[in-house]
Amino acid sequence: MDPRDITRILFEDFRPQTIYLFYAVGYAAIAVFLYGTYTQIRKYRRGKPDAAWGELWARFLDMAKTMFTHRTLKRRDPAAGRMHSVIFFGFVLLFIGTSTITLEYDILAPLLGVRFWYGDFYLLFSLVMDVAGVGLIVGLIYMMYRRKWLKLPKLNYARPDRKPGDPDYDRTFYRREDWAFLWTLILIGITGFVLEAVRLVWLADRPAVWDFRWWSPVGAVLAHIMQVAGLTAEGAGALRPALWWFHGILALTFIAFIPFTKVKHIFTAAASLMFRNPMAGRVLPRIPEEQESAGFKTITDFTWKQLLNLDACTKCGRCHEACPANAIGAPLSPRDVILSLREFANKTLNASELPSEAELDVHGKGPDQILQETLWSCRTCLACVEICPVAVEHVPIIVQMRRKLVEEGEMEPILQKTLQTIHKSGNSFGESKRKRAAWTKALPFQIKDARKEPVDIVWFVGDYASFDPRNQKVTQAFARLMNKAGVDFGLLFEAEMNAGNDVRRVGEEGLYEVLATSNINTLKACEFKSIVTTDPHSFNTIRNEYRHFDGDFEIQHYTTLVKKLIEDGRLKIKKKVNYRVTFHDPCHLGRYNKGYDAPRDILNLLGCELVEMARNRDNSFCCGAGGGRIWIPDTPGLEKPSQNRMREAGAIEGLQVFVVSCPKDLTMFEDALKTSGFEGKFVVRELIELINECVEDGDPEACAPAA
Amino acid sequence: MKIMVAVKQVAALDEDFKIRDDGLDVEEDFLLYDLNEWDDFSLEEAMKIKESSDSPVEVVVVSVGPDRVDESLRKCLAKGADRAIRVWDDAMEGSDSITVGRILAAVAKKEDAGMVFAGVQSSDDANASTGISTAAHLDWPHAAVVAGLTYSPGSAKAVLSRELEGGLQQNVEIACPSVLTIQLGINKPRYASLRGIKQAAAKPIESLALSDLGLTAADVGAGRALSRVRRMYVPAKGRAEMIEGTPAAQVAKLVEIIKEFRGA
Repeated sequence: MDPRDITRILFEDFRPQTIYLFYAVGYAAIAVFLYGTYTQIRKYRRGKPDAAWGELWARFLDMAKTMFTHRTLKRRDPAAGRMHSVIFFGFVLLFIGTSTITLEYDILAPLLGVRFWYGDFYLLFSLVMDVAGVGLIVGLIYMMYRRKWLKLPKLNYARPDRKPGDPDYDRTFYRREDWAFLWTLILIGITGFVLEAVRLVWLADRPAVWDFRWWSPVGAVLAHIMQVAGLTAEGAGALRPALWWFHGILALTFIAFIPFTKVKHIFTAAASLMFRNPMAGRVLPRIPEEQESAGFKTITDFTWKQLLNLDACTKCGRCHEACPANAIGAPLSPRDVILSLREFANKTLNASELPSEAELDVHGKGPDQILQETLWSCRTCLACVEICPVAVEHVPIIVQMRRKLVEEGEMEPILQKTLQTIHKSGNSFGESKRKRAAWTKALPFQIKDARKEPVDIVWFVGDYASFDPRNQKVTQAFARLMNKAGVDFGLLFEAEMNAGNDVRRVGEEGLYEVLATSNINTLKACEFKSIVTTDPHSFNTIRNEYRHFDGDFEIQHYTTLVKKLIEDGRLKIKKKVNYRVTFHDPCHLGRYNKGYDAPRDILNLLGCELVEMARNRDNSFCCGAGGGRIWIPDTPGLEKPSQNRMREAGAIEGLQVFVVSCPKDLTMFEDALKTSGFEGKFVVRELIELINECVEDGDPEACAPAA
Repeated sequence: MKIMVAVKQVAALDEDFKIRDDGLDVEEDFLLYDLNEWDDFSLEEAMKIKESSDSPVEVVVVSVGPDRVDESLRKCLAKGADRAIRVWDDAMEGSDSITVGRILAAVAKKEDAGMVFAGVQSSDDANASTGISTAAHLDWPHAAVVAGLTYSPGSAKAVLSRELEGGLQQNVEIACPSVLTIQLGINKPRYASLRGIKQAAAKPIESLALSDLGLTAADVGAGRALSRVRRMYVPAKGRAEMIEGTPAAQVAKLVEIIKEFRGA
């Protein structure tokens, strides 16, 4: 048999008019697709410039890697990730398959007379397409099952920022769209197989077709079933045109609708991944000198990448699930911030003309506007940014919108007061600058003044560690540790100001600039090699953000330093403690700066038995203090995130110590321990206190767990 | 129409302060300066009138004091005041509230102000008289401790409520122009963001000297003040003692203490 006969004759037995009609519909679908794509790109271009443009090749490779491994989609939901990858690869293969046919039939054959879609290649092609089709359908069936029967809370679109009955409260449209998407795609797949089988029955007397039927196994099985059921060749031939058109129109409609529906995520998610900013939230953007007002007021204040982010969201709910504010019932879900802004952008930026400035305002109580309470509920813990599989960067958007609120004074009066206090006294406690190093008076040794003499290490203490009485004990313990290890260190004394990390995350950028500049100038006037801090918040901003204000310093969190001191033998473990402990990753040490291992290694060196909570490392659950929330009173009646965390820890059998390594965590969790009824069951301790217990044998200050 | 808001930069005590060697004030090093808390409210009240008015209203903040006062005036500009004026002359050193009132009245006349707002009192000196003395020098009516205000720019009278002791309120109708001293809590003062303050640094602060106001050194300063500080000190802490025991023992102890005090 001539291998050229082993192929599929396209449009077999079609009248020319019918073929023309098909092409007309096809071109129309492509035209609609292109127009939609144009309007979407026009929408993104209405945003401001973004720093993410550039290094396109490296970005592309990174995106391709993420996409082909499905790494981000498998995190914390491996089943959904795997099934999505089956759909993804099925879809990609089927797309390549269709494109291959187009390449031969519409381009190479008519122009150059080249044909390759026959013989062995054709047979292999058939097999691959069948496998891809099966993958697509299986994946889609799983997704339907997941939506219909798993009842996952993260797939419930009801919004925590609105009440039942409010317009678009449960985003019904999205639910319908999801199902329309699933059904359309699965019907395209199923009709494809049926069409394949019908063709086999129709052409069963043609050896070039029938003898090779098992190269399309699904079609072959179906064909046999149809024959058994009594379908004749004539019957199949009669059935074919309607089926063919149904399949074709459905597929073309699908293509035409891509830019207008959630299907667009195949492009927007990829692009969003490509333009991801690995430092998102860790480094917040500066306000350009020439920019008159701070932050985002209108949707056109967003950058093109942020507008793209809005369209990349697939409502997978991973951020919704991870968000501590949402977990306690606060009116914030990062998902809904993104979705509301998406709807807002579609409403205002899709037309050829921009509406008036007033209609572009994203702040307010309208259905797609963002409530102030929503923005102020955010702890900037970065849990949403961390887990988003398509690199949506929620936190910078929220902070930018807060900047506007701060500028307009729209905040809790007590927060306003705190900001004024920080401006006036340089610390959030409203204490005199002179008292910053008052905690050193209780020490039996003098600490060097880094402003007056050179030191190896400048210790940036931070507000909580300096002024909070409970934390002062920890601070003193750390000073003793450093002294014992013979570290040459010094303080900035009253010249140290609040590092500004949380001030910046509140959105008070002007105050942040004042604080950062002051600290940078102080540090620059000192002679030292590196900085150490026990405060992860200060650690983050000094490490990542000061460099953008001309302050490039080497800084480490104390956990890294102490681990090294122990390993080098400079700190001797005299006594091991065999407590059963769990460790809470501080957002700013863990997620922000990937400092997951040093504290765990130290616990191990101390002899502790570490039992992890379910939410650990990158999924650590914020204590609720971040983003300036420590200065804002919690809503009465709602559980605090810290209490939620205590319940999680309380479930660990025989837990003795809940270990933290952040001053704010110590404050938050010691409080939550009492209010959530776990007092006496286990204790909250700063890692430093455990280290001290092991290093200073018989120290009266040692904090033995109660249990 | 102009509303003049008289503001003051007040001093707050830092931790562990020291009294100056001459015993008249606290050592400058231990003072932290900031805008008087009441002034946030009087400025806000003026801003609210400006923002809700159909006719143009100019809010002018005025302060009597040395260079450092500019910082506080800038904060007022950041909150939206149209202009800021600082009045100073070394001869003004030592002025009391009556004298400062004379200076402020001169500014109000020069500016042709339609209303003058001041805080009820300043948190450092607590005389509660600068606003009132300004009214006296202007020969305008005044209302003190204003806790609510209805006034539309240019009208001949204002209706206000005053906070009295014992939880009483008094509704008062006052002829304008007048001087009102504004009480805390009358409104919700806006926040001056640091960027706003920085941007306000570009706005000029006008400075006026004695001659600009038609005053001479003889009209102001310590020499003209009708009161002066003789001594500032931290009083010795009072002692208290709980007398316990049977009634008889308590009486015996009491008698003993009385005798001790009488120097018996």
